[in-house]
Amino acid sequence: MRAEAGAVAASPVALDLDLDVFDGPFDLLVTLILKDEIDIWEVRVSRIIAEYVVQLADSGEFDLDATSQFVVLVAALLEMKSRLLLEEDVDEELEELHPDEAAQRLLERLVRYSQFKNASAALRARWEAHSGRLYRNVAVPPALLRRPALVGSLPAEALPGALAPLLREPPKPDTSHLADLAVSLVKELRRLRLILGAEGSFTFAGVAPEDRLERAVTFFALLELHSSGEALLRQTRHFGDIVVTRVAARARAELAAAPAAG
Amino acid sequence: MNALARRLEALLFISSRPVPPEDLAVACQCLELEVADALQELRDEYAGGRHGFALVEVAGGATFAVTDECADDVRRLTGAERPDDLTPALLETLAVVAYLQPVTRADVAEVRGVSSEWALASLEERGLVEQQGRGDAPGAPILYATGERFLKLFGLRATGELPPLEEFSLAASEVEEIRSRLLANAERRRA
Repeated sequence: MRAEAGAVAASPVALDLDLDVFDGPFDLLVTLILKDEIDIWEVRVSRIIAEYVVQLADSGEFDLDATSQFVVLVAALLEMKSRLLLEEDVDEELEELHPDEAAQRLLERLVRYSQFKNASAALRARWEAHSGRLYRNVAVPPALLRRPALVGSLPAEALPGALAPLLREPPKPDTSHLADLAVSLVKELRRLRLILGAEGSFTFAGVAPEDRLERAVTFFALLELHSSGEALLRQTRHFGDIVVTRVAARARAELAAAPAAG
Repeated sequence: MNALARRLEALLFISSRPVPPEDLAVACQCLELEVADALQELRDEYAGGRHGFALVEVAGGATFAVTDECADDVRRLTGAERPDDLTPALLETLAVVAYLQPVTRADVAEVRGVSSEWALASLEERGLVEQQGRGDAPGAPILYATGERFLKLFGLRATGELPPLEEFSLAASEVEEIRSRLLANAERRRA
């Protein structure tokens, strides 16, 4: 799996990260993890994904290749991390370790750790003695405060006047400019079937309405025609026009008989 | 009190933070040596229960601090509260940072044997630990260190004033006891 991830890392994903343990491009992070120079335990994959999503949203462009590359890499990282969490590798390592050696290593760690544990007890004593001490603390001069408080600059009688408009009920919002959706999926399907029956084929651009939402309904109806086997959809390039062709009743029966071939 | 002691008193009265002796010397246009003598005089003046505050040296400088007998009155007046107590995990993490600084999160986790992300974040929030740039290790991890607030709350002039870490080592007999227990375990594992 590591080899796989290494192979896809050849194509760069442009993402600069600023994580707790790592500051630099995403590709470098992946390389360092693969070389075991950074412990994947320390890397929060969710942060990487969050930063990527933010960057995608900011750039306004959607590069399908780079994004799928990123998904593959992140999936590989997650797999590595989940394997570590299941401690498969860790167990193997411990099995190889001689019990005496393991005991010796553990002893060294415990001895080192206990220094800090004892030191923390000494720190607690200092904390209890000193943390309550109140040092000289000069307030921020009023000139440096962003907004000086208005003391006594308004008469108290102004208060009811200021409160009254807040108590009044606001007018109901005007929704007259919002129109109901004019097209239903069933109606649109019926319309497309009629065109398909009469002309045998049509293009999406030729039949789609102006309104964005209505276009979406038309597109949805096309998918419906496709999945029911009534029509074939063809699109030669991304964002190009879609050509819709009728599937003859006989061909449809064959398709239905051999769904695996379709 | 001599004139220099009075002038230093004025400087400390007006400063909101501990003032390093070299800054006091620059302000008074005198030698640091003279400042040290005058500070001593000032310390004597405020010692001995004659005043509600005393001269303390903390966080690399001199400042005034309320005496313990008056602290509760000041708290009632200003509403200042004692800082929240530190849990054993936080103190332990703080000890690692204080002695090994600057350290990365991974360094702390290695010594403690557990992930210390939350503990470090919590210490940072309390202002006891500060970020201090990034390290040279792969990935340029964040470096953590203690700051002025740590020194003030623990009554230290500098982190160098902490007792050396060696003083906290286990006694040879304790190490031996742990070793024999671990080896006995290893023996059982082999069997």
